[in-house]
Amino acid sequence: MKLSTYNFLTSMAIKGVKVGFPLKLTIIKKDVVESEFNPTFVERILPKLDWTAVYGAAQVAELTEDIPAVQPENIGENEVLLQKLHHLLFEIDVLEGQLECPETGRVFPITDGIPNMLLNEDEV
Amino acid sequence: MHVDEKPQKVNKAKKADKKQRRCLAIIKSDCDVTPSDDPTPYLAILNVGLSNGLTEENLLQAANKSSGKVTEVIMLPGKSYCFVVCATLEDSQLIYLGMHNVSTIGQQGAVAYLSYIKELPALAGKSEWNRHLPSGLVVIPDFVSEEEESTLLEAIAADGKTSEGSGTLKHRIVKHFGYEFLYGSNNVDPSKPLDQSIPTACDVLWPRLENSSSTWDWSTPDQLTVNEYEPGHGIPPHVDTHSAFLDPILSLSLQSDVVMDFRRGEEQVQVRLPRRSLLIMSGEARYDWTHGIRPKHIDVVPSASGGLTTQARGKRTSLTFRRLRRGPCDCSYPMLCDTRQSKAPQELSASLATQAVSLEQQNVHEVYDKIADHFSETRHTPWPQVAGFLESFDPQSVVLDIGCGNGKYLGCNPQLLAIGCDRAQGLLAVGRRKGQNVFRCDCLSVPVRSSSIDGCISIAVIHHLATGERRLAAIKEMARVLRPGGRALVYVWAKDQRKNDKKSAYLRQNKAVNKERTTEQQQRQKQHQQLEKLANNTPLPVHTNRTEFQQQDVLVPWKTKDEQRTTYLRYYHVFEEQELESLVAQLPEVQLTKSYYDQGNHCVIFEKISKNSL
Repeated sequence: MKLSTYNFLTSMAIKGVKVGFPLKLTIIKKDVVESEFNPTFVERILPKLDWTAVYGAAQVAELTEDIPAVQPENIGENEVLLQKLHHLLFEIDVLEGQLECPETGRVFPITDGIPNMLLNEDEV
Repeated sequence: MHVDEKPQKVNKAKKADKKQRRCLAIIKSDCDVTPSDDPTPYLAILNVGLSNGLTEENLLQAANKSSGKVTEVIMLPGKSYCFVVCATLEDSQLIYLGMHNVSTIGQQGAVAYLSYIKELPALAGKSEWNRHLPSGLVVIPDFVSEEEESTLLEAIAADGKTSEGSGTLKHRIVKHFGYEFLYGSNNVDPSKPLDQSIPTACDVLWPRLENSSSTWDWSTPDQLTVNEYEPGHGIPPHVDTHSAFLDPILSLSLQSDVVMDFRRGEEQVQVRLPRRSLLIMSGEARYDWTHGIRPKHIDVVPSASGGLTTQARGKRTSLTFRRLRRGPCDCSYPMLCDTRQSKAPQELSASLATQAVSLEQQNVHEVYDKIADHFSETRHTPWPQVAGFLESFDPQSVVLDIGCGNGKYLGCNPQLLAIGCDRAQGLLAVGRRKGQNVFRCDCLSVPVRSSSIDGCISIAVIHHLATGERRLAAIKEMARVLRPGGRALVYVWAKDQRKNDKKSAYLRQNKAVNKERTTEQQQRQKQHQQLEKLANNTPLPVHTNRTEFQQQDVLVPWKTKDEQRTTYLRYYHVFEEQELESLVAQLPEVQLTKSYYDQGNHCVIFEKISKNSL
């Protein structure tokens, strides 16, 4: 699971959960898959992402020094930061780990790079 | 010259020996017949048989020429050999000497090779001629005289409406009187009678049937279809559409004999229709058996002595007399009944509602988990209009494929951030191996932030949901994750696999039907028998692959490619026209922007309405 995908995931489908976001991420095993850096792509995708979850992912991935807690202005002119975001969002690949609902503590395992977000019938 | 002849003779004998050995190997493997070096009363006649046009008469004539007496001839359908039993050992030797490598009695002068054999083959399986005729099937020989035959032929030549496409179907010429039989729908339009009614020359026929017709639905027909078959022409096995015509169907054979095959699943009966005979199909024979004519030049028919022989076909004209039904069929033979097959049992929708979750679990999720790899191999080419939809987004748009399967659409447009989800772990693993972004979830609870996605696709997914509420809920879930202004594309399987009389790709791949080797009805009946056990405990009908859908809620078989050839049944709800559009219309937060039909699928594109325009 790339951390760009993580940015969209929520546990709000669970009965009684209001927001379910961001999910609490735990990384047990990760890989880095190098990919071509396209600053425009990163810049344009950012408005679609939730910065809190971007920053949260950076903390778990131990890249806090690279990513500020608050999204800076005029990020398009900051190619260094864009490069770091590219690495965080599109190159880090979580192979084993888990996502946890912030409200109920329900755990969604990540196995072989695939998060299992499937809920039981009695949870929805 | 004299010197030259000798080696040629030797060569000919050598060739015959070689050929004979090859033939003996065939009968050894076919029916375990062992040759004998010493004369026996049993002879194998090799290289000639029913398959290459040998007639019993020709064989007996040749035997007669060699002065040997034959007491029995055994001809096997489809074989290029036969056997004879001779009166005495002496007769047997006379026939051997007189015919071996001499008698050219096969098609195109094929020569017979003879061999003594130790015993006659133990013939497994009786000939199809000895079976009982289907109930309700009657052939009345000499139903019309030769003069009447000429009169009828003249009458139909003078009039009638020829079928579309200059009246030549794939293998025959067709004309209609009374009403046109429409081959696209396999039906007639009762509101459009033809100017040409059944020729009055036919009127003499009906009083002859007064005795039998007291039990029929009708006493005079109102529709006549004339088929002209040249030798080699045929008609695939079919049942006359139940709802189109009453009971019985009559067929008058003129100009030539022919053999008609009657089939019910694995059962098969061959019936000889002599020239000037009338075939009556009523009851079981009309409703529950298919009938057809194989495209051949020569028929195999029973011989005078009780064996089999061949008979060359001539040009044959058949007159099929029927009466329109004008309403649903009420027969008691549901298997081939279009009325029965298209009417879902009333209790079905109720049972689907209570069993939706377990049905989807067993007949969707579990099946996809089991067939994942094989299924994935068959799903590689993106459908062009889906790819086109993905191309229509601005670069750097976020697109979610709900029910992404093996992820074949996730890489279509590399300028997008494409994420896919599915229930089937096996299929997700395939996409993941290709480096795609995937997660596992149900399409009714998509774990994605609301209003976060620019585009959404759902290709061949929601037809696996067992109730209208669930199908609507799936679309509502797509609408929820879309941002205002975001667009979604939904594909579902259409019940109607034809558009403007053109078959979908799904139907076009049914090669046996398209080449008229069989019909959908025949395939349905056959499969029904094969899968009877598998589908026993479900109220849902099992669809026959690559045929038109008979009902909306069906189980569709998937045969694995491995040695076991296991059959799994997947549940589908195939959509009627406008059904998908009417689901979308129930959601005020979206607006339908386009709907179309694409290769057997109903498709819609809808847009989430922006807040300021609400």
